[in-house]
Amino acid sequence: MNQFIIALIAGVGTGSLYAMLGTGLVVAFRGSGVINLGHGAVAGYSAYVFNELRTSGDLFLPWFDIIPEWGVLQTLRISNIPTRIHVFDFEMYIGKPPLLPTFLISIGVSVLLGLMMHLLVFRPLRNAPVLGKVIGSVGVLLYLDSVIAVNFGGQNRSSSGFWIFRPDLEPVSNFLGLGGTIPRANFYMLLVAVLMGAFVFILYRYTRFGVSTRAADENEKGASLLGYSPQLIAGINWVFSSVLAGIAGIVFLHKTQPSLYATFVVGALGAALFGKLTSIPMTVLGGLIIGAMSSGGVSLATQDWWPGWLESEGVRTFMPLLVIILVLYFQGDKLPIRGTLSAGKQPAAPASRNVTVGVIAAMGFALILSNVFVSKWEAVLTTSILATLFMFSLIVIVGYLGQISLAQYSIAGFAAFMMIRFIGDGTLQRPDDYYVITGLGMPTILSFVCAVIAGTLLGLLIGLPALRIRGVQLAVVTISSVLAIEELLTKSRSLMGTGAASIQPTPSNPSWFGQYIGGFNKETFRTDYWKYSLFLIIITALVGAGVVNLRRGNTGRRFLAIRANERAAAAAGINVKNAKMLGFGISSAIASIAGVMLAYKIPAVQAENFAIFSGLGLLAFVYLGGITTGYGAVVGGMLVAGGMMPEFLGVHFGDVERGMINAVGAVGLIVNAIVTGGEGVALLQSNGLGKIPLRLLRRNPDEDEDSEANEEETVTEGASI
Amino acid sequence: MSNILETKGLTVTFGGLNACDKVDLIVPEGKFVGLIGPNGAGKTTFIDAITGYVPTSAGTAVFNGKDIGELKPHERAQHGLVRTFQSLELFEDLSVLDNLLVAGYQTRWYSFILDMLYMPRKDDAIEERIQWALKIMGLEDVAESMPSDLSHGRRKLVGVARALAAGPKLILLDEPAAGLDTAESQILGGHLREFLDHDMSVFLIDHDMGLVLSVCDYIYVLDFGKIIAEGTPQEIRESATVKKAYLGEEAGEIQAQAGQRMTSLQQDHAEIEDD
Repeated sequence: MNQFIIALIAGVGTGSLYAMLGTGLVVAFRGSGVINLGHGAVAGYSAYVFNELRTSGDLFLPWFDIIPEWGVLQTLRISNIPTRIHVFDFEMYIGKPPLLPTFLISIGVSVLLGLMMHLLVFRPLRNAPVLGKVIGSVGVLLYLDSVIAVNFGGQNRSSSGFWIFRPDLEPVSNFLGLGGTIPRANFYMLLVAVLMGAFVFILYRYTRFGVSTRAADENEKGASLLGYSPQLIAGINWVFSSVLAGIAGIVFLHKTQPSLYATFVVGALGAALFGKLTSIPMTVLGGLIIGAMSSGGVSLATQDWWPGWLESEGVRTFMPLLVIILVLYFQGDKLPIRGTLSAGKQPAAPASRNVTVGVIAAMGFALILSNVFVSKWEAVLTTSILATLFMFSLIVIVGYLGQISLAQYSIAGFAAFMMIRFIGDGTLQRPDDYYVITGLGMPTILSFVCAVIAGTLLGLLIGLPALRIRGVQLAVVTISSVLAIEELLTKSRSLMGTGAASIQPTPSNPSWFGQYIGGFNKETFRTDYWKYSLFLIIITALVGAGVVNLRRGNTGRRFLAIRANERAAAAAGINVKNAKMLGFGISSAIASIAGVMLAYKIPAVQAENFAIFSGLGLLAFVYLGGITTGYGAVVGGMLVAGGMMPEFLGVHFGDVERGMINAVGAVGLIVNAIVTGGEGVALLQSNGLGKIPLRLLRRNPDEDEDSEANEEETVTEGASI
Repeated sequence: MSNILETKGLTVTFGGLNACDKVDLIVPEGKFVGLIGPNGAGKTTFIDAITGYVPTSAGTAVFNGKDIGELKPHERAQHGLVRTFQSLELFEDLSVLDNLLVAGYQTRWYSFILDMLYMPRKDDAIEERIQWALKIMGLEDVAESMPSDLSHGRRKLVGVARALAAGPKLILLDEPAAGLDTAESQILGGHLREFLDHDMSVFLIDHDMGLVLSVCDYIYVLDFGKIIAEGTPQEIRESATVKKAYLGEEAGEIQAQAGQRMTSLQQDHAEIEDD
């Protein structure tokens, strides 16, 4: 019992981080009406600027050099954008650079990030529909996470902390006579969180700035009539919010690593929702409660009576989600949601004509490529096609139905692992496999079907909250589910078999009708087996045709009617709940097919294959391609990391890091949200921007991918400069 | 003759205030019934209540011989109780024709499979009804346009056409003439009685006294949530109670006409601003 209480108290360490980040979320929300999913990443970036300054004395600016050292550019000496400034010379400072200047410089970077977010993302998006704003914040999240990965390395970068925020301080033992020990720094972090909360609380309650923010929050038009500029207020709040995030990130530095910061936003969202996005004291309390619940849950999971299939990591990641779901379920209708009245224009979703011609042309083109390409390029081609296949699921749920589900890629992962489990029969599939997978020993085709059904059921479960909540709230729930699905289901040893948490061999013999159709080529040891490419092309064409046809029929019209206006949809006799469930079902089935097809391709599946940022990257690129049409998925598939476009560029410009591709994708996503409202490359003709590539496309459908992708590349690059 | 809609003691309460107070109202089958009343009298709330958009606190609503109190809005629509909205509420991302198609076709659980295979169900009766709805509202030339490309008045007509396309047994029109220009008003007014030939009854709410008096078989007058008068257009025209409540004064007739001119001017003005 004492041990459990100690665990609860120890949880205030992480809880304080959630409280601090939650406070920043509330500040940004009150200032601009945006729930910033990238808030954790802001904290992470500032924290690693601080860490880098302390270790190498270098300051990394929040971007990277995107100009390749190549040809004309090199001769013109246009070769780089400054990203790295050497601030501290170690010969001057023996040992570590001084704390205060380091801290101030890091906070300066926070200020810069806040300004960038306001001026480059959310101010231009202020009149965008909810979808656009959420996409904008997904863009911020993906961009900062990618830049963190590029500039500071993805992982395994530990920090020993600083000053009183160090893990090596003597722990507090026998706290309140309970026995056990609690890290001393946890208490200091709690102190910072409470002070920060109190400061913000007083600022909003008693200062002119706070009052004007609250006024703008409650009635933007009214505030502007009284002479306050809502956008100035929003800008100040963005900067303020980023600074709070920066402080939180730096204080928490000794407890984590770069790649994890972005995901802390989940706990922070839980805290902010606990405070109903308005109350700072309740937000701080909520953060501490979530921290305590997670830590306490992990402590319970070590008990004998605890069911073994509920693993401690899963319990830890589930707690914030639980709080979020409870708050949204019981308080969802009372949460302030700004700007929903002027919902803005949704991306157009025209019905396609000549679907048969389009699908056959695309199939033919892909088949020709798969025969022209050898070895590596065939694998690159199937990467693009797999991405396209998955993107069709996002077109259904986000494009047609307007429900922002960020968890679809986790469903793909779940289905992939389920397929392995269904097929497993306890025998070694390949001589060099690490594990045997026990399971139901199903035939391949049956396991495919069952895995898709399992994935669909999970998708329906995730879709349940969508019956009560919508817009940004749904995005919050689904992004929070991603980690819980990964830890509770995909990585669960008891559910997915031994080795689920590490690497897991897929069956090397996925054969349909006696034909081996796996991607792994036993002769070349590459994933370039031609029968797999053929199989994948056929599946993708069928799914794509189905998704495009959906829009041409009554089901798609009903989805779009719901996206436009749920009230009126009900008046037209549409059962909105059923239709939403149908949308989640179709989308999840497609995602599951994509997951299983990925598992067929690579010799070993890992949970990391389906990590949160891979999923967000896919969303970014399909949004860039055009979230509402089949072409969007095709274009998006070409652009993804590891797909055709980046690999072609890689040949010309040298190797391109995955993080860079996702960052460029994130910038493209934001630019697209601002410029076309999400219609993307596929619908450029309706904006009059892309007349020329479209004419090419009409004349010769085989060339569409290249011409469009090229054009998009210039757009995104231009924008990021 | 049976009644398509019958409410008894229908009450809607908003925070202690009765927006509709024990409303007893009957729409006989195949008839054109109007509901008039000054601003804030509770007319739209009444439609919201019988279509399930606001909860009722007391009373019953029987539609087509069935108590609909427990039904969801979409179920009421499927039973043939179809409304239009004062505030348009069109599907902005769908073309005019698609707006009508959405309302026209109901789906079954397997429809999405047929749709994915592009084997859409074509029903001649429904297609015919949709074409009729487009024609009667004068929208044939803009069937492929997006609602956002149309004038406010024509958008309003799209809303009516969408309700017609659903094949209603009773259509509830919530101020369909508000914001229409003269030509559009004539299209609407000239065709309203035709609705009755298509196997439906009509329930009309409008400010436009002239329109209501000219098309309705029977009229209810609502004020402060209560029915204060009912009768044939002739009776309503002569009713002292109605004049007092609706027009304010005995001499309100003239004022009302002046007011109407002003409102139409204002609407024209508003449209110019919209453009």
